[in-house]
Amino acid sequence: MSLTPKASLRSGGRFAAVLPVVLLALCAFYMISAFKAPKEASEFQLGQFGGLPVVDLGRVKPLDTLARTSLMVISNKQTMYLKDGEGTSDHRHAKGLQKVSAMRWLMDVMTKPEARNYTVLRIDHPEVLALIHADRDRMYFSVNEIMEHRDVLSDQIERARAIPSSDLSPFQHQLLRLAQSLEVYFKLEDVTGLLLIPPAHEGKVDTWQSFVQAQKSPEAQASPSPAIAAYPAMFQAWAQNQPADFNAALTGYLGTLEQGHASRMARVRFETLLNNVQPFMHCMTLYVLVFVLAIVSWLGMSRPLLRAAMWILLLTIVMHTFGLVTRIYIQGRPPVTNLYSSAVFVGWGAVILGIVLERFYRNGIGAVTAAGTGFLTLLIAHNLSLDGDTMTMMQAVLDTNFWLATHVVVITLGYASTFLAGFLGIVYILRGVLTRGLTPELGRSLSRMIYGIIAFATLFSFVGTILGGIWADQSWGRFWGWDPKENGALLIVLWNALVLHARMGGMARQRGVAALAVGGNIVTSWSWFGTNMLGVGLHAYGFIDSAIFWMLTFVASQLAIIGLAMIPQRHWRSTRAAAAATRTAAPAAPGTPILPSTA
Amino acid sequence: MSESWRETVKPLASIRLTVVLLALSIFLIFAGTWAQVDMGIWTTLKTYFRSYLVWIPLQIFLPRHWHVPGAFPYPGGTLLGTMLMINLLTAHAVRFKRKRRQIGIWLVHLGIILLLAGEGVTALFAEENNMTIDEGQTVNYAEDIRVVELAIIDKSNPEADRVIAIPQSMLRKGRVIHHPTLPFDLRIDQYFSNARLMEQANAAGTVMAANRGTAVENNLVAQEQPVVSGVEMGEIDLPAALVTPVANGQELGTWMASLYFSVVPQGTPQEITFDNKAYRIALRHKRVYKPYSVKLLDFKHDVYLGTNTPKNFSSHIQLVDPSHNENREVLIYMNNPLRYQGETFYQASFKEGDVGTVLQVVRNPGWLVPYIACVMGALGLLIHFGAHLLRFVNGRKAA
Repeated sequence: MSLTPKASLRSGGRFAAVLPVVLLALCAFYMISAFKAPKEASEFQLGQFGGLPVVDLGRVKPLDTLARTSLMVISNKQTMYLKDGEGTSDHRHAKGLQKVSAMRWLMDVMTKPEARNYTVLRIDHPEVLALIHADRDRMYFSVNEIMEHRDVLSDQIERARAIPSSDLSPFQHQLLRLAQSLEVYFKLEDVTGLLLIPPAHEGKVDTWQSFVQAQKSPEAQASPSPAIAAYPAMFQAWAQNQPADFNAALTGYLGTLEQGHASRMARVRFETLLNNVQPFMHCMTLYVLVFVLAIVSWLGMSRPLLRAAMWILLLTIVMHTFGLVTRIYIQGRPPVTNLYSSAVFVGWGAVILGIVLERFYRNGIGAVTAAGTGFLTLLIAHNLSLDGDTMTMMQAVLDTNFWLATHVVVITLGYASTFLAGFLGIVYILRGVLTRGLTPELGRSLSRMIYGIIAFATLFSFVGTILGGIWADQSWGRFWGWDPKENGALLIVLWNALVLHARMGGMARQRGVAALAVGGNIVTSWSWFGTNMLGVGLHAYGFIDSAIFWMLTFVASQLAIIGLAMIPQRHWRSTRAAAAATRTAAPAAPGTPILPSTA
Repeated sequence: MSESWRETVKPLASIRLTVVLLALSIFLIFAGTWAQVDMGIWTTLKTYFRSYLVWIPLQIFLPRHWHVPGAFPYPGGTLLGTMLMINLLTAHAVRFKRKRRQIGIWLVHLGIILLLAGEGVTALFAEENNMTIDEGQTVNYAEDIRVVELAIIDKSNPEADRVIAIPQSMLRKGRVIHHPTLPFDLRIDQYFSNARLMEQANAAGTVMAANRGTAVENNLVAQEQPVVSGVEMGEIDLPAALVTPVANGQELGTWMASLYFSVVPQGTPQEITFDNKAYRIALRHKRVYKPYSVKLLDFKHDVYLGTNTPKNFSSHIQLVDPSHNENREVLIYMNNPLRYQGETFYQASFKEGDVGTVLQVVRNPGWLVPYIACVMGALGLLIHFGAHLLRFVNGRKAA
């Protein structure tokens, strides 16, 4: 990419030279402002308090994460509305209330009984609503309201729990979700049961204690942790509205933590930072901007817009990488540990590849596909994060950094590149059929890009799949078990091999390879998510209801695009435009053949 | 190579055939994955991947409550694998040139041939057995949990038991089994591949009932059940057999032997007494005796603090092998198996209540093949695509 402004001056004057710089500066400002610490809504230093460590679901995390993931499970949101003992998650009933952080909500849950009246428990299913005799237009309920129906609910929940999860009806699914929300709520409410008390020195996670445990342990009684005095003081100050006392106790306790737990606290601080910055959310916004800029660049003012798109794309990948690396640092694990992180990593890999393509071709196609896949995969990640903590602990069999770093990373790059090839195929087909943009030259470039990316995908999916087999051989003595997830990975390898052979044998040319590459999107989405939805196999680590709907929608959209590609090429707008151009250029020869079909 | 031969095999070497076979394989794997929703992995393996022909039911692709009948025939995994292998080998014999440019492709294809051959070796020769050991127990055999045997055990010699094991294939209704060292014949009156034990009053359908032994003492009869073959992890068939020993034309009574009694012991083991000598009778998983023994010193099942998520399973064992003068302690845990004398011991499962471990004992002569194939394939693809990339980049620089 040429960074000298002279080139763009030629194509659009001063405005064109300034535009990319201005856009980049705006985006950089947007990005930096995300790093600003959020303003405290009151005199209480709640932000600092949220940075205190707690052990939950097997790992040390800041209270802020506990608050956010819990509120997310309960209400599907990370914030709520609150004022003077009245609180709700429903924005329609939030008049006069203030939007507050999850941490603020957690404070009330831990210290004030009236928090049980906040309407934050979300219930969607009409039959569950009917069970508690609620209006259908209400979505959020308070714990006290729900507890009025405890008998009928617990009876129904017991029934749902008695059957295997694969046989659950949607109604029962919702019931179990409600049960989970209540469990989470009561866990938070019982402060004495939370694992808030760190060991005297940095050590294993297993040595953290709750107040109840510390009271029973003679060792903890002999040399009590500073936490034992600090928390009650802070809670009391909060309940009595004494910010000065609260902040003093907090500062004192933080000081002791910094001494005994320096390296743990560094990671906890980074996690709080990650929570506040929300890098992937901002990346999504920026990817949309890049996508739009690059598309618009095909319509006119191409140079400056394309340059702006590329610069912003580079800025965004920095942010994306920041999020990724921070997660690696916090967890002490390779980038992919669960479905959520695989989505983040697939997006990252695809964007990097797209940037490389853009670097070679400079026609906006790498930028469009990079931004498109980046946005979509982060959107998927965002939806997966609604299930709670995104840094879950690894099941025993998956608990190996070596294989996570090799097999999982390589296979995920295989997903990323197969998707990128698929999106390049989409660009080929849509621009060819619907616009006049697909010139023969561009067709050749796109085709070469698709081939290159599929070659890359073949390498990664092949090596990744075999590495997976070797891992299986290492951990349960079977190289290949025809397990759904293994089959899914193999399907990607075979699909890519099929495309390469069809191309080599002349069975598929530009159009055919593009359509087959789009088919790769279906195969990959099925291996990535479909196999988890089967609910069988050692790898089935996640199941999401609405995921099935979105998966089918995605497959249908891809089939529709393949269907478009089936339209004979002489009817494509690009082909007709080229033919018309040939005719106007040479009116004396009306018999000039239109471009040869490249099916 | 003569030209006529070349012409004859040419269709077999065609790249169009490759594409067709790949497409067929893709669909087979897709179907074979869906089939696992209802069928156990072993059944799927047999019917889809290690077969020549498979009837694929339409139902497997559709929600189960739609009840769609019908099935269509489809080439099975063994057939497609063999065809791909032939296609690849003939292509290299007929079409491919030994050029330096193609060295990458040669490597990749060789790696794939190795993989397919390795899968064949595994299918033919690999043995997979389980070793279930309670804490403190010493065991010198592994069990094949897919096959049972009817064991008649003579414990009269305090030095060593004498075991007569009747293989599963002989357990057929109406069969009379004669063994030279047994003083009586055994008549198999009934055999269920999977059965549930219950009280007489609750039973319905095809039922077997004994008049001697454990079943009578516990007032149990066996009711026939459909075969599960491991639909869910850890679920196994529980076969049962109704056995009548006959001596000199006289019936000694009818015993029920059930795998259930071996898995969940019911008081003292049941015995046939003849001529003042006791013979234990048990239906149990087929045992493969080993020249070594394994004692479980300790089994650990750790979870993450405040969760039920397993963090680690580990078996601390003592391995004793007089023939190799081995006597040592070993820790086997997830992703850290013990390799010993051509066999590999994996932490596979555990007994409820964490009182015992289940080790998977695997002998697979082809285990190293994938490692080699992986390296070859990766190297081949790198060389092939790397060369492409270099040409492309150089071409752009020149332009």
